Order: sequence, then C-alpha cells, then structure tokens
Amino acid sequence: MAETDFGPARRTTRRIRVTASAGIVAAVLLAVLLVPPLVQLDQQAVDLAAKLRPPSWQHPFGTDDVGRDLLLRCVYGLRVSLLVGVVAGLTATVIGTAVGALAAAFGGWTDRLVMRLVDTFSSVPHLLLGIFIVAMFRPGVGPVIVSVALTHWLSTARIVRSEVLSLRSRPFIDAAISGGASRGRVVVRHLLPAVLPQAGLAAVLMVPHAMWHESALSFLGLGLPTHQASLGNLVQTARGSLLAGDWWPTLFPGLFLVLPTLALAGLAGAWRERINPRRRSELML
Amino acid sequence: MLELTRVTAGYDRREPVVREVSLSLAPGESLGLLGPSGCGKSTLARVAALLHRPYAGTVVLDGEPVRGWRHRAPRAQRTAVGVVFQQPRLSADPRLTLRELIAQPLRATGRRAEVADRVAALAPAVGLTPELLERRPHEVSDGQLQRACLARALVLRPRWLICDEMTAMLDASTTAALVAVVESYRRESGAGLLAVGHDRVLLERWCDRTVGWQECSAPGAPQEVMGPGGQSS
Amino acid sequence: MKTDAVTTAPGPKAPVLSVRGLSVRFRMRGGRQVAAVADAHFDLAAGECLALVGESGCGKSVLASALLGLLPGNARTSGSALLDDGTDLLTAGERSLARTVRGRRVGLVPQSPAAHLTPVRTVRAQLEETLRELTGARRPALRPAAERAAARASFPAGHLDRYPHELSGGLAQRAATALALIGDAPLLLADEPTTGLDRELVERTVDELRRHTDGGRALLIITHDLAAAERIADRVAVMYAGRIVELDDAERFFGRPGPRHPYARGLLDALPERAFVPIPGMPPELGALPEGCAFAARCDRADELCSVQPPFDGRLACRHGARADGEEPDRA
Repeated sequence: MAETDFGPARRTTRRIRVTASAGIVAAVLLAVLLVPPLVQLDQQAVDLAAKLRPPSWQHPFGTDDVGRDLLLRCVYGLRVSLLVGVVAGLTATVIGTAVGALAAAFGGWTDRLVMRLVDTFSSVPHLLLGIFIVAMFRPGVGPVIVSVALTHWLSTARIVRSEVLSLRSRPFIDAAISGGASRGRVVVRHLLPAVLPQAGLAAVLMVPHAMWHESALSFLGLGLPTHQASLGNLVQTARGSLLAGDWWPTLFPGLFLVLPTLALAGLAGAWRERINPRRRSELML
Repeated sequence: MLELTRVTAGYDRREPVVREVSLSLAPGESLGLLGPSGCGKSTLARVAALLHRPYAGTVVLDGEPVRGWRHRAPRAQRTAVGVVFQQPRLSADPRLTLRELIAQPLRATGRRAEVADRVAALAPAVGLTPELLERRPHEVSDGQLQRACLARALVLRPRWLICDEMTAMLDASTTAALVAVVESYRRESGAGLLAVGHDRVLLERWCDRTVGWQECSAPGAPQEVMGPGGQSS
Repeated sequence: MKTDAVTTAPGPKAPVLSVRGLSVRFRMRGGRQVAAVADAHFDLAAGECLALVGESGCGKSVLASALLGLLPGNARTSGSALLDDGTDLLTAGERSLARTVRGRRVGLVPQSPAAHLTPVRTVRAQLEETLRELTGARRPALRPAAERAAARASFPAGHLDRYPHELSGGLAQRAATALALIGDAPLLLADEPTTGLDRELVERTVDELRRHTDGGRALLIITHDLAAAERIADRVAVMYAGRIVELDDAERFFGRPGPRHPYARGLLDALPERAFVPIPGMPPELGALPEGCAFAARCDRADELCSVQPPFDGRLACRHGARADGEEPDRA
C-alpha cells in the first residue's frame, strides 16, 4: 500500500486526537461498568447537612441541592445516558439499514413508498416528534429509547439506500448474477459487506447524538423520572442553583455529556478515514 | 444458437441506445461486433448476457426463449453465458481475493466441492500464480485482475462467452494472452463467442466473422454514431 | 555516462530536453523501496517526437510525473532532466515550476481531457483564463486570441461556448490540446493521450500532435498503444520494469530491421496485425526486481550472462546485443 502524502505534523495531530478519544472512551466504559459494582456508596444517599458544597477532597465534584455526591451522580447519570444512547443508536441504525437496503433492493413502488415515508418523517423536526412519542408513555428509559430510535433511522436509511443503489449498478454485481448468484446471495455476500462499515460508522456517530437527545428530553422534563440520575436530569435540577451562583452542579454533568460524545465522534472520524482511504495513486502498484 | 431479434434497449424508454438490433450466433462460432464507443454495443452485450432487460425484441438461447433478465432468468440460463467486462477494477468485488473471485460462481451454484480443483486448473491457464491468487484486487495490476475475471467467467464452463471490450484497457501482450485463453477454451469446449469492441484489427484477427454496428441495426433506425468528421456525437 | 554523444539526436540544435540518469524511488510503508524508474537516459530535440512505450505499470507514467514535478510526497528522484535553458525539472521548486515551467516551457496534453477541463466553465472561459495567465493578454484582445488558440488545435469556433460535458471525446481532446499549446512551450508532454479512444479518433489525435511537432516543438508521448506510437514517433524508447531497454529510430524499430531487445520484439509480435502471440509470463513487480536483467525470466534467450544487470549503451540494454537475424548490432 502506498503511503499518503500527509505531512508528519498532520499525522501526529491525528494520532494525538485518536489516542485522546480512545482514552476518554475507555475511561468512560471503565467508570460506568466498574464503579457501581465496586463502589459501595449509595448515589441516592441524601445528606441535607452537606447540600450544595463546592468541590472538595471529600466530594471532588461537590454535592447537589440535597447533599448527594455529584461525582457518583454523574457516573450513574452517564451510565443511564450511555445505555439509552447505545441502545437507541443501534436500534436506529438497524432500522435504517434494513429500510434503506430493502427499498434499494426492491426498487419500484416499494422504494418510492418507503422514501416518501422517510421524507414525511424528516419534514417534522425530530425533537418535536420525539417529544410527541415520549408524551404517549409514562416516563422511563424504554419510551426515551423508543422515541430516540424512531426519530433517528431516517438519515441512515437514506445513506444505505443510495450506497446500495450505486453498488447495485456495478459490473461486479452483474458478474455475480451471471455466475448464478441468487438475490439473497448478492445481498448477503456482496451488498451488505460493502454497506456494513458505513452503517457501523453511522451507529457510532448516532450514540452521542442519541445521548444528547436523551438529555434534551430529560431537561424538558419529558424523559426519565426526575429521581433517576441521567445527565439531562442532573443539568435540569441544577438550573436553580446555577442562578444562585453555584456552578458545579451544572458544569460537571455538562462535561460528562460533552467529553464522551466528542471522543466518540473523534473515533468515528478516524474510522471513517480508515474505511474511505484516499484513492490509491495509479503511479503505485 | 444465441439469437437476438429486433432488440431495443437502453436506460430511458424515450431514447433507447439500442434500436431494433438483430444478430445471431451459432454454437462454436465467434462473432466480433464492431462499433465506436458510446454506440450502445455494451448495452446490447448486457442484453445478450441476460443482465439488462430490453424494451422490445426477443432473445433465444439454445432454442429457449428468454423470458426474464437478471434474477428473473432461470439460473441454468444465466450461467450458460459467461461475461467479461471492460474494466476489471469495477468488475471485481474489492473485498475478495482473486482465488475467491474465481470461485464465486461455483459457490453460488452449490458446487463448493469443486472449488479447489477448478481454481487449480484455471489459474495456470490464465497465467495467475498461487501467490497472486491470495491477493486482493487493489494489490494487482489491471492485466492480472482481468485474467482473474476471465477465469471467473470460464469457471462454470459456459456454452457462450461474451467479452465486452475485454482488452480495451490492456497492453498488446496481455491482450494476446487473454485472447489465447479464450480461444483455447473454445477449442476444447465448443463454446460460442460474442466479442464486442472498437478495434477492427483485433476483432478481425480474433473472430470468425465481424459485423459493424450499423449492419445489425434495422434499416432506418436512427444511429447515435459519431460521423467521420467527429464534430459531434 | 560516456554515451551522451550517441543518444543526442542528429541535427544542429541543442536538445530541448536532456534526461540523464533519471531514477524515481517510492518509499513504501514498512521501509520498502520501489524503484519505479531507474537510470533513464534520453534526449529530445525540437521538431522531434519520442514515444515512450511499455506495459502499464512499467514506470512510464511515473517518469512523466517526475518531469512535471507531480510526484507524490513519498517519491525520491535522482539524476537530471535539463531543459535547453538549463532548468532542471527534477530540482526546480514547486514555485518556479508553477510560475515559469508548466505551460510556458512544458505543455501537458493530459490522459483524460474530459477530466482535465473544468466542468463548470465553457471552453472559451478556460482558454481566456489560460491566455491571461500565460501571455498577459487583456480584453478586448482576449477574445480573438482565444479563437486563434482554439483554431491552432482545430477546435471549431462554433463550439467555444460549450461546456466540457457537451463535447465529444475528440473535441475534448482538442480543447485540452489547445490549452496545452497556449504558452508556446517548446516541449509538449502527452501522457497516454489516446487511452479509451476509438481507432479513428486515436489516429486523428496523433496526427494533430504530429502537426504541432512538425511546427518545431519537441514531443514526448507516453503510450501503451504501439500503433499510435508507430504513426507519430521519430524515435521509440521501450521501457520495461522501470528501465529503458531499447531506444531506436521508429522506422527501424517498426519496420526493418526491427527491434533488438527480446522484450520489444515480443511486444510487437503480440499485436493482432502481427503474430498475435503473447510474451510468456508477466512483468516482475517494481518492488521485487531480480538482480540481473528483469526480462530474463520471460526471455527465450536468457542465459547466465543475464544474471548481471545489462547496461544501457544508448540504444539497447541487453547482453545479447546482436539481432536475431544476425545483423550487426551497432550500425548507427
């Protein structure tokens, strides 16, 4: 393989960015997976004597308005937000890939009908649609996942459809058909393997997006029940104290939302560069 | 016989690129179809290979009228015709090694057991070394990849072979080598050949009979062919 | 090399381009080196056309890119490629190449003219822009100048206001040629100008390039199309595995007595109008070249002499210098 002509400086910056992103994602995973079983502290433990304490050695992130430890609350909140993000992101991607691939594979009426449906859904702002969906259920993790998943498969469906359509007209698909490949074999052996990296990338990019949506819904009071620590809920309950000049209940949950989502997006970007390498120069064999 | 009668085909019903074209090919015969680029001869080749449904006209393959194209054609009919395209890069799934590329038709038709033997027999015939067979398309040259694509077209031992500008991207030596592979397969199997191209010298040397694009179109059908002045298309 | 006198074309003029010991290496991932061009020597005089022929991947396009300063960052060059004013194309910086060389000293006739033209601007706009850039012409002189430039490449004035996608392959090629001619560069470089064109169009393109050569320019045409080379070239250089293995007058090469290098002979014999017999085997990879003659593995005359790299004597790089028909090797 030929080396690309990126300058060494640019390569180094890219490497730093990827390493930092991977580090943050790894730390987040460790924290949400290990802290709850290992740390025997109750995140719900109320200590009214220690309410709204600024960061200290005992409470590195400070405490909230009923004296709960914010570091612990943030970790638990991240856990819930990440769960919602991953499940909703994956669901949205699976729906989008299936719909897009089917529309492209069948073509004709099916394709037109499905794509008009996609257009219709897309014409409604998806936060509004999401609010509409959660409003039909009792607050909880399930409705939020359903709401985010159902509003986020549209772009994936579009991407997958156009990818499959462009692949379908390539001579190598013609060659497979001429070699006796069935419809199913063409899809499974030739189309899906070409589309899956794109779909996987869409899924990774979807996770931070879904996390933001969860937070938005919870912030609006429509998402998770208020006692459940999610990053959106934490920011929402901190609003009052922010006005009183207490910055830490807003800042730390905010950072917990921003840093992991940026890191995930960074990793996804590196992945995109891997699966779409610059076209090889014809000068090199 | 492979018979195409008054075939009209294209990508837009109002402006078909192939209008009322007829040609027929006897078993074991080789026919060169000569035409300038962009005249629609590749579309006709795809119709003959059952890969593109024509708007009008009939195709009869070994006495059996063709009723469906692409997946709608019965597998036995589809695999009776082997195809080689102009651009090997686009004709090869980039994720497969050359060995897998050649073996695909066997796997697709449930003849997995024959893969080792057939690939071992075909690779030397088309000039591919065992080392090249383990590479992927981006690791080989156009000529090497086209050799693999030709082997893939021959792996099911088709009764008909359609070569659409098979050698247009290749140098003289590779061209001669691939033509020699096709001819030796035809001698041994008695397969018929439709070779589509724009190089008169090559097609006349290669084929029993060469026809020009205009000669097989119905009289009066308008042609989108560049005039000798080349002022417009 | 001591053979400079031999390679210099006959004629009183100094060569427009003089290439000495030009080598290009690519540094690949994992420290591997690929010698894409090794030790190329040739001269090119005004009014002369040299065709560089060989299979795809033999290094001829890399050589062209080296002359234009368009190699990717992992390439290293050595040797020299001097223009008649003393500019070395290999060492001139990007700035001076862009300002004083490309278009002005060296004109490029590109491989795919349609891709070379800007799709969103008419041919006239592109000609006028290049004229402004290279000749400093300003309105109102610009319009007639563009029409003259088009006429020089036989591009019909009636099509000047068309966009590239509205042109046939032949016209796009002429438009690209017109652009290449604007700077009156003494050296024209045509990189596979006939790829994908029909035979008729190949011949017309080649004849037009020949006309510009007869007008006093030097033309280096790079092609794998031997028929095109035969039609246009005064001299032919055959490249194999990164090396020029034979350099001869086109008439002698394509006619009597024919090429001397076994590879060049094989290449001609592969043509459908000749024996139509392929050369056995495939070219070696540039990253894994053998010690000696790179063609030995495919050559019917190979013997122990071929295990040492044969030097290029200005005409031939083969230890078996004599022609097959027994003619004297050095009757220049």
